[in-house]
Amino acid sequence: MAVESNALLRVNNLKKYFPIKAGLFRKTVAQVKAVDDISFYINEGETLGLVGESGCGKSTTGATILQLEKATAGEVIFQGKDVLSFSKKEIRGMRRDMQIIFQDPYASLNPRMTVTEIVGEPLDIHKLVRNKQEKKERVKQLLGSVGLSTEHMHRYPHEFSGGQRQRIGIARALAVEPKLIIADEPVSALDVSIQAQVINLLQELQQEYGLTYLFIAHDLSVVKHISDRVAVMYLGKIVEMTSKVDIYDNPLHPYTQSLLSAIPIPDPTINKERIVLEGDVPSPINPPSGCRFHPRCPHVMEICRGEDPEFKVYGDNHYVACHFLDR
Amino acid sequence: MRILDEREKLLEIRNLKTYFYTEEGVLKAVDGVDLLLHSGETLGLVGESGCGKSVTSMSIMRLLPSPPGKIVDGKILFKGRDLAQLSQKEMRKLRGNDISMIFQEPMTSLNPVFTIGNQISEAILLHKDVTKREARRQSIEMLKKVGIPSPEKRIDDYPHQLSGGMRQRAMIALALSCDPQLLIADEPTTALDVTIQAQILELMNDLKKSYNMSIMLITHDLGVVAETCDTVAVMYAGKIVEYTDAKGLFGNPSHPYTWGLMNSIPRLDQNIEKLHTIAGVVPNPLDFPEGCKYNTRCPIADDKCLQQEAELQEIRKGHKVRCWHYERLEQLKKVH
Repeated sequence: MAVESNALLRVNNLKKYFPIKAGLFRKTVAQVKAVDDISFYINEGETLGLVGESGCGKSTTGATILQLEKATAGEVIFQGKDVLSFSKKEIRGMRRDMQIIFQDPYASLNPRMTVTEIVGEPLDIHKLVRNKQEKKERVKQLLGSVGLSTEHMHRYPHEFSGGQRQRIGIARALAVEPKLIIADEPVSALDVSIQAQVINLLQELQQEYGLTYLFIAHDLSVVKHISDRVAVMYLGKIVEMTSKVDIYDNPLHPYTQSLLSAIPIPDPTINKERIVLEGDVPSPINPPSGCRFHPRCPHVMEICRGEDPEFKVYGDNHYVACHFLDR
Repeated sequence: MRILDEREKLLEIRNLKTYFYTEEGVLKAVDGVDLLLHSGETLGLVGESGCGKSVTSMSIMRLLPSPPGKIVDGKILFKGRDLAQLSQKEMRKLRGNDISMIFQEPMTSLNPVFTIGNQISEAILLHKDVTKREARRQSIEMLKKVGIPSPEKRIDDYPHQLSGGMRQRAMIALALSCDPQLLIADEPTTALDVTIQAQILELMNDLKKSYNMSIMLITHDLGVVAETCDTVAVMYAGKIVEYTDAKGLFGNPSHPYTWGLMNSIPRLDQNIEKLHTIAGVVPNPLDFPEGCKYNTRCPIADDKCLQQEAELQEIRKGHKVRCWHYERLEQLKKVH
């Protein structure tokens, strides 16, 4: 991969396999290759969108970077250090700089804690405030920055709507002043009108605090809107990575092309050519040989069945893994 | 629209009111809805969560939990018969036969302890006078039509053995097994991936043509509406706020809510810096505002809107809008 001098996060050949155990002695009989040898980088202040369909490994990628899941192999270099070799204590320190926002605002907030307790907890853990008064002030300020008011401070999560809960989750992530935020489907559980509010909030916060985002989502329109660059995943692999303009104007991988064509456009006068893919996404337990997309690919060739295509650069920072481009 | 009007009216809903009587008060989930669906047509019912679109479909199917839900007023005329007046016994003859429904989450609407063949055959045996062997043959035929590979084998699978897309196909096979004239599809593709969604939408369109069936499609996704619907009704807080054909709706949205919704979705074919947002949240159905229900979020609301709710009026041919100031919206559009 091209070396980017100001990359905040660099992921090299990351793998995450989940063992499937069976029998009396819990022998490992197979492996789910959720993330299988992916590499990418995110520059400081940039948003990288990670898209793909369910089961492609995009959420596992996020969890592995944060070390909520232990990586099987590879490197995650954050601010110049490989975080996969960190001790438990170092990992905790690292999480001050790296935070996550989850998809489900109903499941990711403790129902027995008030908003002050939820947003204040990371301040206590990382000892960022000296006393209760200071904590209260900081929570007030954080809630203000995500568009909630002080009257919300002593309420419980169930008293809020979905959009407001997501704001609480964002305030919690911001509490430790992180550099990188991994946002895992942050708007997909929200109604359209609320979704737009949260997207705008994330963009405003990025400008204000100079945040870097890894934005994981299945909705390519949302990802394209918020990201600077987009990486497309299929069955544990990144198949294409480029700028958001190129991904839409010049998609090179057949999967990206079909994914783009499958998205309905809210304009009945546009009659576009649709590439409807045959069949379902295969199981990551026993992925197809060679290129993993070959059983559904409209341009499949002999070489695709046997050899895994290399993730190579085609043009300006446009990475693709496809044999068809080399024919 | 005139050409459409000459076609057979399959479903006509007049002033439907469905209320829920809860401990906290009366919840007016559907409050005076009029809809018209001709045979062979697809009607889209669009809105955000809690706007009453699903309650409308449940009222048609008479599947409301009662109590607390009750159809308090209105007519649901299906081929001239008022469904609201039918007994549960008479409804059972219609459900799955003349009117069918598919749901968002196929895993919770298929029975996990019966094979899919069992479940499709059950519907066929209930409504048609055929032998078990014939019912099984027809079930395999249906599975083939919805594009399930090797249906002779798949018919003996349990729902958990199928993928999400396959399950939704099985669900469609079940719904279409008795050649319904009306299919109600409640968010049929929301739980599916986009490439699978494209397959299912294409399948539904093909089947609609070959069966000359009418579809009532309930969704929050304006993209899906644009690709599949002939006419569209936009709902907000239990009422229809805009009702017209798909071209008219997308070409010239005339209610501030519809216009706001369309601007708040990021689009693949456009590059914009900042998304337009609709201020605030959907009001609590137990505590709707006086006057127009959208007045708390509307950029062009004035005193009149705070006091009085507009009627759903025809502002141009075949285009109905519930707004006092739809003309003022045109100026707002120019600014944006």
